Amino acid sequence: MKRTTAALALVTALFAAACSSAEPASNPTGPGSAAMTITTTAPATAAPDTTSTVVAPPATTQESVSPLAARVTPIGSAAYDPAEHRNDAPVPTSISIDEINVASAPVVDVGVEDNGDMELPGAEAVGWYRYNAIPGEPGSSVLSAHISYNGSNGVFRYLSDVEPGDVVSVGYDDGSAATFEVVEVAQYDKQELPLDRIFDKDGGPVLTLITCGGDFNSSLRSYEDNFVAYAVPIDA
Amino acid sequence: MKRLIAVFAAALMILAIAAPAMGQAAVRIHLIHGIPDTAVDVYVDDAVVFENFNFGDTQDLSSLAGETLVNLQVKLAGTDTVAIDAGDVALPASGNYSIIANLDAAGTPTLTVFENDTSAIAAGEGRLQVRHTAAAPAVDVKADGAVAFSNLSNPNEAKADLPAATYSVEVVPTGADEPVVIGPADIAVNDGDSLIVYAVGSLEAGSLTVLTETITGLGQTPTEVPSGNSPVESGFPMAAMAGMAIIASLAAGGGLALARRSN
Repeated sequence: MKRTTAALALVTALFAAACSSAEPASNPTGPGSAAMTITTTAPATAAPDTTSTVVAPPATTQESVSPLAARVTPIGSAAYDPAEHRNDAPVPTSISIDEINVASAPVVDVGVEDNGDMELPGAEAVGWYRYNAIPGEPGSSVLSAHISYNGSNGVFRYLSDVEPGDVVSVGYDDGSAATFEVVEVAQYDKQELPLDRIFDKDGGPVLTLITCGGDFNSSLRSYEDNFVAYAVPIDA
Repeated sequence: MKRLIAVFAAALMILAIAAPAMGQAAVRIHLIHGIPDTAVDVYVDDAVVFENFNFGDTQDLSSLAGETLVNLQVKLAGTDTVAIDAGDVALPASGNYSIIANLDAAGTPTLTVFENDTSAIAAGEGRLQVRHTAAAPAVDVKADGAVAFSNLSNPNEAKADLPAATYSVEVVPTGADEPVVIGPADIAVNDGDSLIVYAVGSLEAGSLTVLTETITGLGQTPTEVPSGNSPVESGFPMAAMAGMAIIASLAAGGGLALARRSN
């Protein structure tokens, strides 16, 4: 009795599968074979005797394909690939922006302060946020320098003078270089800084240059705003 | 050791304050083949779902979320030999899960379900989740020479949020320095990613190795970019500020607070 119900359920399932004719496309085991199996399941129970001649046909390649087959997706191998765990890509070491007299200023890699702020070097250098893209790679590559630090002009003292069309060049530790063209500049209240855009990891390659600006709050020793210039790679 | 405690404390704190991860699909269920040298066919309700599923291969079962896989059987490829008879398997309707076909501690093929931690990860950190799914005794997992996870046994996991970096990882029997049964291998823990590492295979058969999967997009950005701590107008800053600091420190009580703020 139970068997019959199961068989019926199977038939219904196969019927359903057969009706939705679109699905076998992604099925590697062959679309038409599913319907064939109905015949093989029924007689098999009656023939436990191995010498019987009817046993042979069902035992061959006929196999019922689950209607679930079209709904699961192979997504590759989970095998450990050492190459994915090695990062020997060249990293940025210098930056030049002729329009604002930045000439081969040193770039150092920086991370995050304990309070969650982006880490920054002193007045003389530019910080590259090491957890985002390398300049030129997909996603936003974030380079920040002070406008003014402990009374000295920072490397990005005049970043607010940068305009679309200006060229930024970046040197790497393997001696190579890449150039970028500024496409957008913006000034944001720090409370409204578009962090998800600035630290985006998924979009196209963007070089995102940041410094401070706006009013200086002398009791907090901090500026109210950030200046940001966005630049994209210039095809070589 | 001290550093490790700090890392764990930090991880706990982060877990405590973390909001549920944003931007994750409501459901993700992956099935991983974690038994070396054993191609299999997977059946549900006596019908084949996929064939010739090999070691390391992964299948996305997300579209079957909330459904019951009736009479799930894993058979040796091309045969009727049932390697894993899992019975009816009810898949969760939502959440992030990994199911691995693996060997239990004694070497018997089985299915193990893990729920993946998708809570937010602090900026500059990545999550390492290590799962013992191998036919082997309990182990210690060392990162850069220090024990990161101790006494991990099949089918358990250990995890921590670590500063994003590449770690040299090796697996040794619990409490021992050798033999190194897996590794040393470079493991890159990337900012905002959860790297899940499965120890798989069999010690006895000499097939111990690792499989990995990654869940991305759990990270957070820095909260601010403080790129200026002095005003740009004129040459006034240094001398004037020094003067102000002296005046401030002369003022009783308030001096310290001011001085600290101007740090």
